Amino acid sequence: MANSFRLEVITPERLFYDGEVELVIVRTLNGDEGFMANHAWACKLLSTGELWIQEKGSREYKIAAISGGYIDVQKTIVIFTDSAEWPEEIDADRAALAKERAESSLTITEKDDLQIRLAKVAIEKALTRIHVKDGGYRRKR
Amino acid sequence: MAANGIKEIKRRIKSVKSTEHITNAMKLVSAAKLRRAKAIFERTNQYFGFVTESIEEIFNSNAEVPVDYLEGNREVNTSCYIVVTSSRGLCGSFNANVIKEASNMIDCDPEEPVIVAVGTKGRDFFLKKGYRIEEAYMRPPESIAFIETQEISKPIIEMYNNKEIDEVVLVYTSFVSSMEQKVKAVTLLPFAIKKNPLMPKLAKQVEYEPSVDEVFNYLVPKYVEIMIYRAIVESATCEHAARRMAMDSATDNAREMIADLTLNFNRARQSAITQEISEIVGGSEALK
Repeated sequence: MANSFRLEVITPERLFYDGEVELVIVRTLNGDEGFMANHAWACKLLSTGELWIQEKGSREYKIAAISGGYIDVQKTIVIFTDSAEWPEEIDADRAALAKERAESSLTITEKDDLQIRLAKVAIEKALTRIHVKDGGYRRKR
Repeated sequence: MAANGIKEIKRRIKSVKSTEHITNAMKLVSAAKLRRAKAIFERTNQYFGFVTESIEEIFNSNAEVPVDYLEGNREVNTSCYIVVTSSRGLCGSFNANVIKEASNMIDCDPEEPVIVAVGTKGRDFFLKKGYRIEEAYMRPPESIAFIETQEISKPIIEMYNNKEIDEVVLVYTSFVSSMEQKVKAVTLLPFAIKKNPLMPKLAKQVEYEPSVDEVFNYLVPKYVEIMIYRAIVESATCEHAARRMAMDSATDNAREMIADLTLNFNRARQSAITQEISEIVGGSEALK
């Protein structure tokens, strides 16, 4: 059996997850990265994306949508994020609506950089939510 | 005459009684809300503790950190005051205390301050005094989400980065216990941190990605955001505590008033009866 470590996922509003896990995959600014027990200590910024958790003794992954934040890898791994949601907490219709709204706002001409950036973030968040609701972008089983 | 007085007292008892019902109900509601707010506040505190710890860790174990956010790197001209009050009244001196503290500080400031008001009570006060309110956030604070507080904090951080403001001061009510709340003023930016020689260096090399600077530059604004969120949550907790206390004493006062009025009522009724009897007795005596 693989080594396990303790993972905590914290948002300002609640302790999202706390438990023994074998593997956690997050999206850092440079792309997806997986962390296992005894990883070198690190502190990395995250972008909006999926969070995959393989719990101790389990072959299945738990998936959640998180937006931004950072991961602090020491003996235990702590993920700080602005918001985190399990698939069952996601309203797929609302996410689809948000995506449409952001996309249509991009079609209007004469935009400044900030608006484009905001729309991009909104699309990213909505896409992540939709994917998580469908069981993750890449199906790892 | 006497009958009139009795009626009057009766009416007052009735009105005070209905007031007592209302204050008592409000007290119970506040007590329930206080409990919920306290739970959120404690969780936020925990998160906040983690983030400050991370900042200190990075600061202590790395020689080079970006200085933009640190104390003593620019002259403080324009200050930004974030004043956290409630949007509803009937909570004793809760709002008055915050406003007093904030306006003391603002009056001492020679430059024109930038005021960000959270809650209608603070906004109304500073508008009336003729200050320019940069931004106002109006919704009742107990239901605020972290994402929503970013709408307040993001522009502030941007203004700081653009050098429109040189200092950010947060004035809010801090929660000591359910019975005691204290007004606090905290300087968020520039960030006051000193190298703490007592803190042990981390045992292992830490990889920072994309770089130390970027992680640090991400963490400090995050700290500000969380501080603001925490202040709003804490202030909401205090608001409920203050309202519960105010309503408690209001209920007590109403009960005392009812007791007094009931006594008066009984006296008036008794004297009316006595008078009637003596009139009857007097009348029958005269007939003899």
